[in-house]
Amino acid sequence: MRNPWAQTGNYRTSYAQDTTIFFNYREILSVGLLLVALCLLPLFLERSQVLVLNFILIYAIAVLGLNITTGYAGLISVGQAAFMGVGAYTVALSAPSLPFWLTIPLGGLVAALAGFLVGIPSLRVKHLYLALATLAFQEIFVWVVGRSPALAQGSAIPVEMRNFLGLEITFRNHNYFWYYVILFVLVVLVVAWRNLLRGKYGRALIAVRDNDRAADAMGMDPGRTKLFAFALGAFYGGVAGGLLAYMQRAVVVEEFTLVRSVALLAMAIVGGLGTVVGSILGPAFIEFLRLGVERLSEWMKANPFIQSITPAGVDVASALLPLSFGLVIVLFLMFEPRGLYNWWRLVRSYFRNWPFRY
Amino acid sequence: MDLAQNLISGVAVGCIYALAALGFVLIYKSSRVINFANGQLIAIGAFLAYALAVWVGLPVLLAMLLAMLLTAGLGFLVERFFLRRLVGQPIISVIMVTIGLASVLDGLMYLTPFGSGNFTFPQFLPPGGLNLGGVSISYPQLLAIGFTVVFLLIFGWFFQRSILGIAMRAVADDQMASMSLGVSVEKVFALAWAVAGLAAASAGIVVGAVSGLNQDGLIAIGLAVFPAVILGGLDSVPGAVVGGIVIGILQSLSTAYLDGLLAQVGLVGGGSQYAVPFVVLLIMLWFKPHGLFGTEEIERV
Amino acid sequence: MKRAMTLALAVTIGLLGLVLAQGRTVTLLWSGAITGPTSDVGGPYAAGIEDYCRYANEQRLIPNVTLNCIVRDDQYQNPNTQRILEEALDRSKPAIYLGYSTGAMLQLKPLIQEVKLPTIPASAHIGLIDPPNNQYFFLPVSSYSEQVVALMEYINRSEKNARIALVVNPSPFGRAVVDHARRAAQRLGQTIVDVREVGGGNLDNTALLRALDAAGAQYIIHQNVAGPVANILKDAKRLGLDRKIKQMGAVYTGGSDLIRLAGDAAEGYLWASSYYTLDENTPGIALQRQLATRYNRSADILNSTNYTAGMLAAAIAIEAMKRAAQRFSGRIDNDTVYQSIIGMNGPNAFKPGFAVSTKAGIEIDFTRSEQTGAEGLRVLEVRGGKFVPITDPFTSALFRQVRNP
Repeated sequence: MRNPWAQTGNYRTSYAQDTTIFFNYREILSVGLLLVALCLLPLFLERSQVLVLNFILIYAIAVLGLNITTGYAGLISVGQAAFMGVGAYTVALSAPSLPFWLTIPLGGLVAALAGFLVGIPSLRVKHLYLALATLAFQEIFVWVVGRSPALAQGSAIPVEMRNFLGLEITFRNHNYFWYYVILFVLVVLVVAWRNLLRGKYGRALIAVRDNDRAADAMGMDPGRTKLFAFALGAFYGGVAGGLLAYMQRAVVVEEFTLVRSVALLAMAIVGGLGTVVGSILGPAFIEFLRLGVERLSEWMKANPFIQSITPAGVDVASALLPLSFGLVIVLFLMFEPRGLYNWWRLVRSYFRNWPFRY
Repeated sequence: MDLAQNLISGVAVGCIYALAALGFVLIYKSSRVINFANGQLIAIGAFLAYALAVWVGLPVLLAMLLAMLLTAGLGFLVERFFLRRLVGQPIISVIMVTIGLASVLDGLMYLTPFGSGNFTFPQFLPPGGLNLGGVSISYPQLLAIGFTVVFLLIFGWFFQRSILGIAMRAVADDQMASMSLGVSVEKVFALAWAVAGLAAASAGIVVGAVSGLNQDGLIAIGLAVFPAVILGGLDSVPGAVVGGIVIGILQSLSTAYLDGLLAQVGLVGGGSQYAVPFVVLLIMLWFKPHGLFGTEEIERV
Repeated sequence: MKRAMTLALAVTIGLLGLVLAQGRTVTLLWSGAITGPTSDVGGPYAAGIEDYCRYANEQRLIPNVTLNCIVRDDQYQNPNTQRILEEALDRSKPAIYLGYSTGAMLQLKPLIQEVKLPTIPASAHIGLIDPPNNQYFFLPVSSYSEQVVALMEYINRSEKNARIALVVNPSPFGRAVVDHARRAAQRLGQTIVDVREVGGGNLDNTALLRALDAAGAQYIIHQNVAGPVANILKDAKRLGLDRKIKQMGAVYTGGSDLIRLAGDAAEGYLWASSYYTLDENTPGIALQRQLATRYNRSADILNSTNYTAGMLAAAIAIEAMKRAAQRFSGRIDNDTVYQSIIGMNGPNAFKPGFAVSTKAGIEIDFTRSEQTGAEGLRVLEVRGGKFVPITDPFTSALFRQVRNP
């Protein structure tokens, strides 16, 4: 091969090359640079801005999981928040006796078990019916938590970690500390995601999603494949929930309701289903949209002219949030169904092929 | 006597679910779309009726009729402008569009005073209810049962006798074949959404009459419908009614008998009526996923 | 680019905040559900805070100080609540925080303890002022638990050994009262026959009411919002159980919404509330009427107890700021405001006229350890479509005994 740094197109000639994690050396370099930039980013941000990043990264982990179940296996899940909840409550119950680097994976495992159980109908039914199984799980989860005295009936269970290897964690550095933890977990999980899905297993999922009977005929077991996807997706959700529990210092059940599940699904769609980049761009887009709309609402509320033209009893500013959230979903689906990932791809291929057009 | 009363109350509530489920099933039957914006259609139907009756000052019954027609129009427009563009897209996209639409409709409701607060229809039914041999049923509940019967009769006639209804059944059965036979699939989809709007509005009006109008409460009915439709079979109109009624009865019975039992096993506070429908849903999915009346999909390679 | 812009914007806002602070602007922060679940409570509550703030600025209630009242919609989502609070901590440095939902407030307790920010939540969950991390929380009126225990004491006045059923909202908000009610029942010799959770969308309550009747309940005490209670009242009337079972409830069950929703069926319903009604002529209620007219509020908002509640919370906060300015030579921050809140007692108690006074004539008072403002409450009854007080203001003595066993 010619100078690998000067590649301007697709030079892949074998299956092995096609399944590599990185496309070329430039990509390795840019990912490395991105990581360095992400590590340095908090130095330039206020505490509350780091909080926003933390939420985005936590949602990104949950959306990565959703992208296995929904993106790869094609099973719509409206229960990802409940899986987050399973992880969060596992963390809340085990945090007093275990360190956080054990409780968080444990939360993921318990959530995976829940995902396995919820996925059982996938051995028999397809597509839409499974969406309803996840819906049922979501509702039952909230109900059971609300009735369990051991889980404080959904009221707050504190999850406090004040000290890590001698480092005192206070209000001042709490967000920064968890930023690095979350970033680390995200990187590990992204690598795992890529590794798992670029090979045989990922192809099996795609095959099952696109035509499960054909996949069956070729010797794959669609039921088992889907079940595994469910458990894996739930694992990611559980880890995200565990991180959220530490980040918010307490677990309350209201965090893990259907509204959150739907929001996560929207993030996955907007980002682009079945992609790593989309799993991060989607949550970022939705959260920045929320911030932007909130700022617009504040401005509208303070603006006397806008106040004077709106009739009494009508709160335009408050209506903007649900309106913009819904419109973004609808417009993306109608005009850019491949999501933000597609924009990213176009930009990237422009640079990759530069100075040629294609 | 208690049992009879609980059954009757369950049937009354079940009829409300049935009304809400009818439109849902129609949409699924014709276009395989799960409509997550059903609750919003229910709410908008109820609020339109309130606005027409109270703000415009129309007689209540006329306002309700008009609200049902307007909501039907809204359903038609939603299909025309949003869903039709997605024909041929993966089904996930279409379902997600209904989730997005739900949020858009929420936002639109916040633009009106209905976004927060509680409202009540002007009194159009006598207060209280009928009492037959110790079994009591309120007038709004009777209205729910009445609406359900009327809709069922109309739908029955429509699907068995009218050309459009037969076309709808044909499309539901085999989209390709009916297209090649000259059935306008688009027309059928639009009609399904319009009728769904109509049924949703009627459910909203009944809920409004029973318990007042509150945006969250009305939208929640849209969610309560899922267990009913899975039980009855996603694509069966009689199934929706039977499913709705069975779920209604189960809720009533679980409040009467199950709550006490749960307290003994450590689940405090009762409220099993909120969980039982979803447990039924899961059990159905495990053992009889196509419901009591749904068509089993037979796949050919 | 976007990030750079956000950063630039943030810096500008931060600088702006700094400049304004030097121009004697003090920040009061509230975030709650203006949209989303419970917005029927949050909407009027927010309006009360906004209006009282505007009034305070127009009247220059705190000399030489302009109030910057941040009133924001968190859609009842805890991450939003947390972000809005932390943003304010970074930028506008609020001197006092008016919170909202039970869940978010319970979740934020450790953070609030750490940043020492005095907090007046709309939720009157007793867990907020119980340890740990409770030092900076102040409830404007008596807690839900105290209201329910007070109702039980009221029952005990006329009927000994009563059999009572609790119907609560399926949320931490509703469940807050159950333990205290059980303990109080034991002391009073009453029996809690059943505890049921009922939320919105309760289309039929026949089975519930029959079950409670069969269990021998003579009274139902509600801890809920108006909607579910109204449905239960209507069904009870239809079933003829309204004469057999007397129903009553804590502060968020009652008010104009309940009467509008339940109509005739609300007659005879008992309501524990610390607030004055709109029919009473007190300075606070007169101010409420005046401000609602001045700022074009709808009749629905004017009639809402939650509008009164929002005003009371804002009034306490602004009074505390004013006293902080007087006592600490103009320094108004979280520390001085905290000091003036816990000094709000005895001759320094605060009397805005939104809530009833106890026998000693004290309306709102706080100390370091007594974190409840208006400890007096009355039982009101619906008569002829209106809530009418039927008791003098009283304080639940029993609640103080059963609060921490």
